[in-house]
Amino acid sequence: MTAPVPLSGRQPRAVRSALAVLEEVVATGPGVTAKEISAALKLPQATTYRLLNLLVGEEYLVRLPDLKGFALGRRAARLAVPVVTTPPTAARAVVDHLRGLVRWGVHLASFGSGQVVLVDPDPDHPPSDAALLARYPQVSALGRLLLAEQADWRALVRELRVFTEHTVSGTTELAIALDAVAREGIARQCGELRADRGCLAVPVRAPDGRLVAGLALSGPAHRVAEPNPELVELLREHAERLSPLLG
Amino acid sequence: MRGGRSLRLRDRSPVHGLARRRLGPLEVVAQSVSGAAPSAAMAATPAIVAASAGGGTVWSFAIATVLALLIAGCISRFTRRMAAPGGLYSLTAKGLAPGAAFACGIALLVGYGLLAAAALAGVGAYLDALLARSGLPGGRVVVTVAVVVVGLLVGALALRGVRLSARVVLLVESVSITVMVVVFALLLLSGPAPGAVAPVPAAGIGGVAAGVLPALAAFIGFEVATALGAEARRPFRSVPRAVGLTAAVSGVLYLFAAQTQVVGFATTPGGLAGQAEPVLTLATARGWSWIPALLDAGLIMSFFACALATATALVRVLFSLSRDGVAPQALGRTHPRFHTPHVALAVALPVVVAMLAVPVVSGVPIGVTLVALLTLATCGFLVAYLLVCLAAPVFLHRIGELTWPAVAATAVIVPILLIVLVVFVAGSRPAVVVLAAVVAVGGVWFGWLRLWRPDRIAAIGVYDETVAEDVLGQAAA
Repeated sequence: MTAPVPLSGRQPRAVRSALAVLEEVVATGPGVTAKEISAALKLPQATTYRLLNLLVGEEYLVRLPDLKGFALGRRAARLAVPVVTTPPTAARAVVDHLRGLVRWGVHLASFGSGQVVLVDPDPDHPPSDAALLARYPQVSALGRLLLAEQADWRALVRELRVFTEHTVSGTTELAIALDAVAREGIARQCGELRADRGCLAVPVRAPDGRLVAGLALSGPAHRVAEPNPELVELLREHAERLSPLLG
Repeated sequence: MRGGRSLRLRDRSPVHGLARRRLGPLEVVAQSVSGAAPSAAMAATPAIVAASAGGGTVWSFAIATVLALLIAGCISRFTRRMAAPGGLYSLTAKGLAPGAAFACGIALLVGYGLLAAAALAGVGAYLDALLARSGLPGGRVVVTVAVVVVGLLVGALALRGVRLSARVVLLVESVSITVMVVVFALLLLSGPAPGAVAPVPAAGIGGVAAGVLPALAAFIGFEVATALGAEARRPFRSVPRAVGLTAAVSGVLYLFAAQTQVVGFATTPGGLAGQAEPVLTLATARGWSWIPALLDAGLIMSFFACALATATALVRVLFSLSRDGVAPQALGRTHPRFHTPHVALAVALPVVVAMLAVPVVSGVPIGVTLVALLTLATCGFLVAYLLVCLAAPVFLHRIGELTWPAVAATAVIVPILLIVLVVFVAGSRPAVVVLAAVVAVGGVWFGWLRLWRPDRIAAIGVYDETVAEDVLGQAAA
């Protein structure tokens, strides 16, 4: 086995060609074949096949079921900064309604891009830094909803950074926590990001069952740790009402 | 989107039910290495090769390693592009006609089934030796009971989930290889027994070529990782790497083992050839009485890992045959919690244990059973390798990605594999009988399918297709 060669950045042509291949797939649309890409970019065929196999291996591209055509893979979403789109007025009204009923922070996050994107944060109880939530999904209740939905969550958790003494720092512990989220349909985190704060989140699913967003309550860590059955019921009820609006 | 092209994506993979995208790269490599079980071959194969190759033993291993790497290259043309739990069977289906793919499926069932049985036999044989060495009562009954218990353990681990069994395999195989490498390094460092160097008759090219046969047989099972395509986290990267790496690592281990034994017997008239238990003889000559027990323990572990890895692959081939509509539908079911093909396991494992237990109970020595099972398994693997290597350039042509190295590799490896197969089968009378029976059963099965399920047989080759949620922008559409 050879040790990985440190990246020298001395293969500018290979990098440029790989990016050109990605662009060509986006420009031509799903179903473009290796031969077509090679012809369009005037790249040698063997080089094109090698780059395509590399990009498929890394899952930026996927092969379509005929094994000839290519399309952008889900991982390619991570190349773009997620756009924060304002949710429909009707959905914001549902979130505002919940804010009127509880004394906690109420946040709505979209998962459409494969990341946690706060689309309606509570103006009176500002949530943690959006970049932090997107980068360390495992420490927030919203992020755990997203991870619990994906079999390959290990690929999305880049660093198990420890923020407080309560932060989950082991993969096994995290796997157990995510299993519980998948089973119970509710995610919870008490003082793992900031020692005095915690949050609860429930999934918002499209009518076909797809996870599209998460609705979260944030408050003092010790209050989050309590069972709060009425609060959870209220949260679930509002998530249900959001389903047809966001799905 | 381009005119006339519509994206028709399924909502779930045709091989749904397995634990998709769970295994890390190391766990995938461990499966393949265990399938090849290099520890056992390191101890036993050099003497067999030396019987034909004499002084050219190391060359025979070098050639076999190159051949294994070429086969790994042909397999990687598929595994870089598709992930299939059916392993070589599903890959062949993408290149050759359904009949050839079906033949590959049968060959794989024979190969994995018999290799799993042989591995269990290996556990039994070395357990027997270990018991005898430590003065404990052994014998046929104890060994048979032990093998059945180990078979149950293999079944339990294979059922419990692919991650657990992959981790067990990783741990056990690493310990076993470490033990072997340490023992061989000690033997190599201590040099040959004192005395004048006895000349080994030069074997010539014919002898070296004949030695390639058993040397290549030492690699069988190195492609086991292909059956984990759907379950590996980054299958297009980790599966081809695992298969190639296993061929390379096993090759290096065999060269090392062959060199150690050739040097060790340099002063013995006749050399390595004709030694029944070369490693034990070398260790005993040096007065290292602790080595035999250590070797036995290492080999038991290696055979155990091999049994688990091949059983895992065997049930996935059965599972794929079932999802293709070729085998009964029940075999394609998966356990709701463990996500493993539990019905296929419940059907296959008793057959595997019986293939070993029946001859042993009826009086055939376990060592003889082990060799017979291995020989027959090798025939199955050679057929499967031949077909997949033949399929590789056809597949690339079909998807419009054919390159000349792919054609060249196939042009080199296919004739060689054909010769190896013919010589191998011709060299063993029981193999001819058993293979004829398998061909007959397979032919009847295929004829029945052609008659009653022509649509299913035409569409075989189920694999882990890209589904809507894998494609950016399709899930939300």
